[in-house]
Amino acid sequence: MSSDRLFRFPKPQWLNSANSRTAGVYLAGGLFSLSFFLLIDAASFSKSLKNASDFHMNFVDWIPGIFSALGMLVINSIDKTRLSGDTFAYSGDGVAWKARVVLFMGFAAMAGGLAGSVTVMVLKYVVPEAGFPTLWMGVANVMANALVMISSAVLWVSQNMEDDYTYNLAL
Amino acid sequence: MAGLKTIILLSFILAIGFLLVILSSALFHNFLPLLVVATYVLAPVPNWICGRAQSNDDFMDGGSSSIVELGRFLTGFLVVMGVALPVVLAHTEQIRYEAMAMSIVGGLLIYTTIISFTLFFREQEEF
Repeated sequence: MSSDRLFRFPKPQWLNSANSRTAGVYLAGGLFSLSFFLLIDAASFSKSLKNASDFHMNFVDWIPGIFSALGMLVINSIDKTRLSGDTFAYSGDGVAWKARVVLFMGFAAMAGGLAGSVTVMVLKYVVPEAGFPTLWMGVANVMANALVMISSAVLWVSQNMEDDYTYNLAL
Repeated sequence: MAGLKTIILLSFILAIGFLLVILSSALFHNFLPLLVVATYVLAPVPNWICGRAQSNDDFMDGGSSSIVELGRFLTGFLVVMGVALPVVLAHTEQIRYEAMAMSIVGGLLIYTTIISFTLFFREQEEF
């Protein structure tokens, strides 16, 4: 097992316990909730009395968030054991290849969401020189999309812990 | 008997939590912070439901099926929502910042009580 490892450094041992996997899943949910409520906060700030400017959130600001959430859904609905399909005999017919294509589309949607949020912030709030209380709507958008990405990464890592854990248990 | 003292302590903490949340609503005549209680009461529900759906007979697969992880994900979502909701409400001046602080502390106390009760009764069920 240790001879055909890809990386030079081994994973730290505490990453392989069941408790850290559970904590990772909880943490991913919390981060996703944080990003969702950043978007909600920006939207309700746009409607509230504190927003004295002419800038308002409309559907354009929601599109990057929708794409990020969609990408996260796609990434995490893939069975991770299908990705290493070349080691298993039963997964013929290019199942690993299909899984990688769908995974690539998921990552592309998530990266596109992040890039789109930066685009919205720059084009809608920075270029017309909005001041800071107004600029918060753009900043919150970028932060929300980045948090979706971090949450997805945490969920990915903690789901990949599962394999090592069950492997150790089976031995 | 240690169990009785634990129950008394937990109910005391629960009462303080409810007191803080209700005060945060009633002091300012604005009952939006009561949503925090609903959030924290709903927070362990996905875990319970998805824990039921897990196949318990498989020892090797203990606690690692994806439906259980979905439940944990939703629970984490709801727990952070209980903190984020008053912050959002206070940021947009629907409630005051004092009410926000009180409802966050009270909600966390209520949630701690619920979690401690769950752990406590699960431990008793095993014996």
